[in-house]
Amino acid sequence: MKDLIEFFGGLEFLSENEFLTYLLAYAVVLGAVFAIYGLFAMFAIWMERKVSAHMQSRLGPMRTGAWHGWAQPIADAIKLFVKEDIWPAKADRILWLLAPGVVFAAALACFVALPISEGWVVNDLNLGVFFVIAIASIEVVGVIMAGWGSNNKWSLFGAIRQGAQVVSYEIPAALALMVPILMAGSFSLTEIVDAQKGGSWYIWYSPWLLIAGIVYFLASIAGCKRAPFDIPEAESELVAGFHTEYSGLRFAIFFMEEYAAVLVVSAIFATAFLGGWHLPFVELEFDSFWMILLGAMICMAKIVFMVFLQMWLRWTLPRLRVDQVMALGYKYLTPFAFLAVVGAAIYEFAAWRWIPFVF
Amino acid sequence: MSAYFKDLSEGIVTTLKGMSVTLKHLFSKPVTVQYPDEKIPISDAYRGIHELKQEGCRACNLCAKACPVECIDIDSDRHMKRVVELKVFSVDYNKCIFCGLCTEACPTDVLLMTKEYDLATEDRSTLVRNILEWVGLRDEDRETIKKLEEQARKKAEEEVRKQTLEAEEKAEKAEEEPAGKAGDKADPPPAEGKASKKKAPKKKEAGGDPPEEKKKPDQEEK
Repeated sequence: MKDLIEFFGGLEFLSENEFLTYLLAYAVVLGAVFAIYGLFAMFAIWMERKVSAHMQSRLGPMRTGAWHGWAQPIADAIKLFVKEDIWPAKADRILWLLAPGVVFAAALACFVALPISEGWVVNDLNLGVFFVIAIASIEVVGVIMAGWGSNNKWSLFGAIRQGAQVVSYEIPAALALMVPILMAGSFSLTEIVDAQKGGSWYIWYSPWLLIAGIVYFLASIAGCKRAPFDIPEAESELVAGFHTEYSGLRFAIFFMEEYAAVLVVSAIFATAFLGGWHLPFVELEFDSFWMILLGAMICMAKIVFMVFLQMWLRWTLPRLRVDQVMALGYKYLTPFAFLAVVGAAIYEFAAWRWIPFVF
Repeated sequence: MSAYFKDLSEGIVTTLKGMSVTLKHLFSKPVTVQYPDEKIPISDAYRGIHELKQEGCRACNLCAKACPVECIDIDSDRHMKRVVELKVFSVDYNKCIFCGLCTEACPTDVLLMTKEYDLATEDRSTLVRNILEWVGLRDEDRETIKKLEEQARKKAEEEVRKQTLEAEEKAEKAEEEPAGKAGDKADPPPAEGKASKKKAPKKKEAGGDPPEEKKKPDQEEK
């Protein structure tokens, strides 16, 4: 981002106009983020269909496009675009209209602090993790707006469930993310990744980090309301939850947002626990463009692996009951997240000094 | 407290077990059959749409009579008693229930049911299908008809000759009996017989009409 602003500032026709320089840089970044976002959402939808199909001994889409139905998400998108836009008659128009935008903006804003490779980050915030957690929570506001604005009891139930669930699961998620922060000594995601150079990935760095990783993984699935924690849109109970009244393009935005949330939490996991763009036994020098691109590919591979793990869990387990979801969040994940934080703190700053005396 | 940890470990173990099952399925061969490209093998006893081996069909209409929904429609013509000309042999697959009774009714076993079952269409009128291999007469049929006609003609000629011979014999006997009594009247009958004998072949050569009609005048003479 800074490089981009400097690059555009260096151009002659922009050198005088600071506002235009910033505007252009923002536009370019936004375009790039949108492109990554859209491509990933399409890939994730296709992957979800294929993974779920093969887990059930089916084939999934095979005909759209030439090879294994690769064009299926494009066809889906076109179908959703041309669908009729239906308005609920007694909806709260303003809330109902704004809700998809709020949800989408919240998911999009998370990308500001997410690094993909060495130096490839929109803005390397020194409070990156904090920023992502805070911005991702805004999504709940949009969901509650959608549920209330739809003037539909099922939508409202879904929105309330979503609010309760996401707020509950933010506690273990944020606490679990505290552990890598504690280890790296920084809130910046880039610095957390750099601390894992040379194979000391946090997921196997210490048992406390492993616990933290598992807790964060489960809490993040609940946070982006995916099965088995998808009680906000449980179709057997609530029709479709908060987006019952949405159709066509507006529904597509909610759908995209779900996959964007999946991408965000997977990216956080990949950077905070799986060493981002570092490989375990080889130390790569990120000095040229191609090496940085390679780093981005490694990071994307890890993100896709995390997405696959989420899908794997989704297509294995049935949906939990509301009380089970709450019990898992408060009775199991939160205590273990606390345990991981305390244990990691003692382990890192005290134990290794004591152990030589013990043995 | 122990129940808490028991629940926890049980939860983890069962989840991992379930995930191992789904992973196993992920790498196993899918059971899906890509229908129009590949098809499941069908039993030989399957009753699909009909096939008519037209060579042996005698157009006896027994299949149409056996059909419980009356979906078979046959229109045929016969030449020289033996050659069957099938004009229409249609099966209405809107009605057909694929019971196979028509194939059992067929005396020559030429109406069969194939394994073909794909009848999906956008227009119901296309489901009334003519299952004839050919319509009308083939060249072979025309030849057999000609042969049969020739045989029939020869037969007819021979019969005519026989009859004329018999008639001549009768006439001769008739002449001998009343000999002398009526000499003027004895001459004309043989003359008439000779005339008819000459006339008949001429007509056949010219027209080639079925000889059954030709026989009639001869019989009348008799």
